[in-house]
Amino acid sequence: MGTIGLLANPASGKDVRRLVARASVFDNQEKRAIVRRAVTGAVAGGATHFIYHNDAHGITQQALDEFADQITATAVDSTQMGSALDTISAARAMRELDCSVVITLGGDGTNRAFCLGWPDAPLLPISTGTNNVFPVLQEATIAGAAAGLIASGQVTEGVFSQQKRILVNIEGERDDLALIDVLLSNERFVGARALLKPNQFRSALLTRADPAAVGITSIGGLLHPIDAADDCGLWLTFGEDGDVIHAPIAPGLYHKIPISACEPLALEQPICCSGPGTLAFDGERERTLKEGQVATLTLSRSGPYIVDVASALRQAADIGSFKI
Amino acid sequence: MSDNISNETLLDLHRRMVRIRRFEENAGKLMEDGKIPGALHLYVGEEAVASGVMVNLTDADQITSTHRGHGHCIAKGGAFDRMFAELFGRSTGYCKGKGGSMHISNMELGILGANGIVGGGPPIAMGAAFSNKFRKTKDVAVCFFGDGASNEGSFHEAANMAALYKLPAIFVCENNGYGEYTPQANHQAIVDVADRAPGYGMPGVIVDGMDVMAVYEAAGEAIARARAGEGPTLLECKTYRYFDHVGVRGMGLTYRTDEEVEEWRKKDPIETFESRLAEQGILSAEAAQAVHDETMAEIKSAIKFAEDSPFPAPSAVTEDVYA
Repeated sequence: MGTIGLLANPASGKDVRRLVARASVFDNQEKRAIVRRAVTGAVAGGATHFIYHNDAHGITQQALDEFADQITATAVDSTQMGSALDTISAARAMRELDCSVVITLGGDGTNRAFCLGWPDAPLLPISTGTNNVFPVLQEATIAGAAAGLIASGQVTEGVFSQQKRILVNIEGERDDLALIDVLLSNERFVGARALLKPNQFRSALLTRADPAAVGITSIGGLLHPIDAADDCGLWLTFGEDGDVIHAPIAPGLYHKIPISACEPLALEQPICCSGPGTLAFDGERERTLKEGQVATLTLSRSGPYIVDVASALRQAADIGSFKI
Repeated sequence: MSDNISNETLLDLHRRMVRIRRFEENAGKLMEDGKIPGALHLYVGEEAVASGVMVNLTDADQITSTHRGHGHCIAKGGAFDRMFAELFGRSTGYCKGKGGSMHISNMELGILGANGIVGGGPPIAMGAAFSNKFRKTKDVAVCFFGDGASNEGSFHEAANMAALYKLPAIFVCENNGYGEYTPQANHQAIVDVADRAPGYGMPGVIVDGMDVMAVYEAAGEAIARARAGEGPTLLECKTYRYFDHVGVRGMGLTYRTDEEVEEWRKKDPIETFESRLAEQGILSAEAAQAVHDETMAEIKSAIKFAEDSPFPAPSAVTEDVYA
């Protein structure tokens, strides 16, 4: 019997995009309710043991308390810094404990942080963030059921697919990564993190260019769609001498974005950009580049594995997992 | 925010933080030496919040402050000499020596008063914001308060009315994790005060209160939104006070660990900002030191001004009284 990892990011869904865009506040009571539903589904799917990140807000701990007579739950040894470091350290601990699948609650940034600690983690990401390209909007009860089927060994084949990622090598500093996009902006500070100034965008590399999503990925998606399954990415150069795309760069916020170049980029083909500027990963400014400092971006299919919930449930129906 | 921030604004943010830090350190020492009467609640560690918000305001915009109010006053343009005179209880102080640390106010600067009552500021700021809207000005009212004050009825009433009337108000929660000596987990069931915002019908946003640029950007957006008539915002800044609830000590206390204090000090808002400005060639280490030195010289002069000033006359005790 495998175990299910649980991580809910208390900080997701609360940044400045509630002001500059029309994103919703995702309060932690709602996240707790989502964890409850996911665990309900997981238990129905056959899971009995959970390993969880005991976040400072008690989201997962309090949700799991309700199931004390049905499951065993163990908190991982992780930091309580109130920052992305907590998610990274929890991911490392879950990797050590070999979780069969990890349910994450957050947005693109949460899953990126998780993958900094466990790059090829088996993930079932539930969207509670701002930009939610990587995590899927789905009912937690059913997502939890899929995780339960996997952890109990009832569903084993063909439900995971490995995702692309961008490895970011920054000259003289630690490496970083992104799951959806890396954007270089002329802004000089990480500040409030959100990408507030499209006129400062310089270039971007997308793992997928999704016309049906919000965020930087939509800019490429409305010009040259690339799916998660395609073995290539898209390199965008922003500038006045090309197409102008009216794109939703955040929830409820469209901007006219001028693009001077748009080129597909093959896997494992490094591309460089240099400072000064700020690198944003998956929609949030994260790292600053000094004058002349070079960042090398490499797209590869070495990211996390994500669960196809519908496929898992179809398999469960075929083998009668839920027949009493 | 269509353009990159100017170097002038960056240096202004730095200078405001340094002025707060040096003022508070000196005020704390004077209190410990018994030269300043009464209790001081010092703002050391939280400088990025007041500075990041106040750079976005004009003198016509109003603020309400807290018992930990020196930083707000300095960042809004308060003069060292009149502030020290007030702390010393002298007639040249902002309140003619009759208010002390917890009541500094100045209408010309839009400082509607520090406030010794926890949760005392929000209704006043809400009233000022109502006035701004009624008089059709573009001014905004900013209310500073703590995580503890967010449990007070006065805060809930003010937030409700501000949202109801779509007032130009910004509720800035300085969440330093403690209501006096009580950890936040012992006084409220939530960790993010911003979670309460949707319940009032206003946006709630969280920023790193140790990062002056994060506060500057988020506050700028909230203030622009308020000026445009789009209503109030609850802006929660996660921050930390290095010193004790009252006075300086800060270490060796039982309600929090020394390790916790040290961990937060690693994120010092002034040191990290100076480092980033130096990296970008905006402020050298020598130029940063000059700002500290100039501030210290001004403080020394202000303390002398205060010590040389007379106490208010006993006959003035009934002056400036509203009721």
